[in-house]
Amino acid sequence: MRAAASTPTGNTALSPGPSGQEARAAAAGDGPEAGLILLSKVTKRFPKMSTPALDGVDLAIRRGSFFTIVGPSGVGKSTLLRVLAGLTKPDSGQVSVFGEPPAEASRRKHLGWVPQSPALLPWRSVLDNVKLPLQLNRRAECQPRDPETILGLLGLSDAMDRLPAQLSGGMRQRVAIARAFSFAPPVLLMDEPFGALDEITREHVAHLLLDLWQAERPTVVFVTHSVTEAVVLSDQVSVMRQGKLGQPVDIALPRPRPEGIEDSEAFHELERELRALLREAFAATAR
Amino acid sequence: MGAWAPPLVAFGAVVLVWELVATHERFLLPTIGQVGSDLGGHLGTLLVYGGDTLAEAVPGVAISYAVAVLLAVAMDQSRLLTRAVLPLAVTLNVSPLLAIAPTLTVVLGFGHAPKIVMTAIITFFPALINALAGLRSADPRALEVFQSLSASRWETLWRLQLPASLPYLFAAARVVVPLSVVGAAIAEMVAQGSGGLGAFIEQQSANAQLGYAWAGIITLAAFGLVLTALVLVAEDKVLRWRGFKE
Repeated sequence: MRAAASTPTGNTALSPGPSGQEARAAAAGDGPEAGLILLSKVTKRFPKMSTPALDGVDLAIRRGSFFTIVGPSGVGKSTLLRVLAGLTKPDSGQVSVFGEPPAEASRRKHLGWVPQSPALLPWRSVLDNVKLPLQLNRRAECQPRDPETILGLLGLSDAMDRLPAQLSGGMRQRVAIARAFSFAPPVLLMDEPFGALDEITREHVAHLLLDLWQAERPTVVFVTHSVTEAVVLSDQVSVMRQGKLGQPVDIALPRPRPEGIEDSEAFHELERELRALLREAFAATAR
Repeated sequence: MGAWAPPLVAFGAVVLVWELVATHERFLLPTIGQVGSDLGGHLGTLLVYGGDTLAEAVPGVAISYAVAVLLAVAMDQSRLLTRAVLPLAVTLNVSPLLAIAPTLTVVLGFGHAPKIVMTAIITFFPALINALAGLRSADPRALEVFQSLSASRWETLWRLQLPASLPYLFAAARVVVPLSVVGAAIAEMVAQGSGGLGAFIEQQSANAQLGYAWAGIITLAAFGLVLTALVLVAEDKVLRWRGFKE
C-alpha cells in the first residue's frame, strides 16, 4: 500500500517531495502547491552530532490530511516538526506551509503546537488554559472555537474550573489538545503528545483526537512511537531513519474510524507492513 | 517522637549551656532569668524601638524587591544588560557595604532614610538573583507554545514568565524579609542618630547592661520570626491558590 505517485492527488499526503522549484512556487503562493505543506531538500545538523538530524528531507502533505511520522528515537522526527513550526531553522532547503514560510504561518496563527508534555500553565484553570491562544498575538486573525464546546467534545465539561494539578495525565493531555484546537489553526503539529500516557488512556485520547479532527479537519503532522496509534489516526504514515523520511504508506481504512477498528484484519495488515519498515529503520540506526 | 521534640531538645540544650556560662561568666552573658526580667519590665519600650526598626526594614525590603524584579525583567530581555550588571551586583554583594553607612548618614541625614537605603542594599542581591532565576524557570515546552503562536515579549513575560517566577520570589522573600530586620538593626548600630532596636542593643552593650541588650536581641529575633511566619503563610496560600501546590 505504498504511495506510488509523486503528484499530489486526493486528500492525502504524498511523497516523494517536491523539487526546489515547486517549493519556491508554493512559498510564493502562486501554484497548486499553496495547498500543501512542502519540504524540499531540508537539512539540519546540530553541533557535536555525527549524523545530520535532517538529511535532505523532501515531503508534501495535502491540506486536511493526517500525516504521521514514526521511527526510532533520535532520528530527527521532532526536529522535522520543529522546523515546520518555525522553532528550529534548517541549515538549507525550502519549507513552506500552504505557501508561506513557517515564521509567517506562526505570525498569522496558522500553526497549533502540541508538545510532548501538555505544558499547561499551572496557575490557570482548564478553561483559561484552553483560552490562552486566543489571548496571545491578538493581531493575527483566527476563527476561535468556543472553548467550552471543545472541552465538552473531549469529555472535560466537569473539569473546566479545575487547575492542571488536579487532573490526571490523560486529562491534562486532552486539555493540551483542546488548547490547540481552540483557535482553529489550519495546521496542527503534534510531537509525541501521548508518550507519557498508559496504553488504555492513550487509545481513548487518540480516538477523541480523531473525532475532533474529523469535525474540524485541520492538517495534522503527528509524531509517535506507536505503530498502532499511527494506523488508527493517519491517512499516511512515514517511517523516519537517520534524518531521512521513507516513502509514506497509505492507510486505506474507512473514515470515520470507530473504536475497535484495531481488531480488523486490514488494520493488522497495515501494522505488519509498518512494523517491518520500522524494524529496518531500527536496524539501520543500530549499524 | 513528635515533630516538636527535636527543636525543643535543641532549645533546651542551648538554655542549659547558656545558664552554665552565665552563672560562671557574668560579664559574658546575663542569666536567662535576668533577660526575662528585663524583657518583661521594658516590653513596651522594646516594642516601640522594634517599631522604629520595622519602619526601616519594611520599606527597605519593599524598595529592594521592586527594583530587583524590575531589573531582573530588564536583564532577562537583554543579554547585554545582564553581562553589564551581574558582575556589578556580585561585587556589591561581597562588599562590606556597612562601611558606607556613615556616608549615607551624611548624605541622607540622621532619620530613617539612610537605614532604609542600607536595608535595601543588603537585601537587594538575593532578591535580584531569585527574580532572575524565576523568570528563567518557565517550562520550556510552554515557552514553545508561546513561540509557535508568535506571542510578543510582553505577552510571554506577563502571561508566562512572571507567574512562573512566583515560587522563586517567595523563596527570596523567605531569605530577605528576616534579613531586612537584621540589616536595619545593624544599620542602626553603625549609622548614628536614630532609635531602633539596633541602636538600643548597641547602647546597652556599651553600658554593660547585658540583660537589656539581650532583651533587645530577643525582641529583634521575635520580629524576624513573626515576619518569616507571615511570609510562609502568604507563600503557602498564594502558591496553593495559583496551583503550584496541591
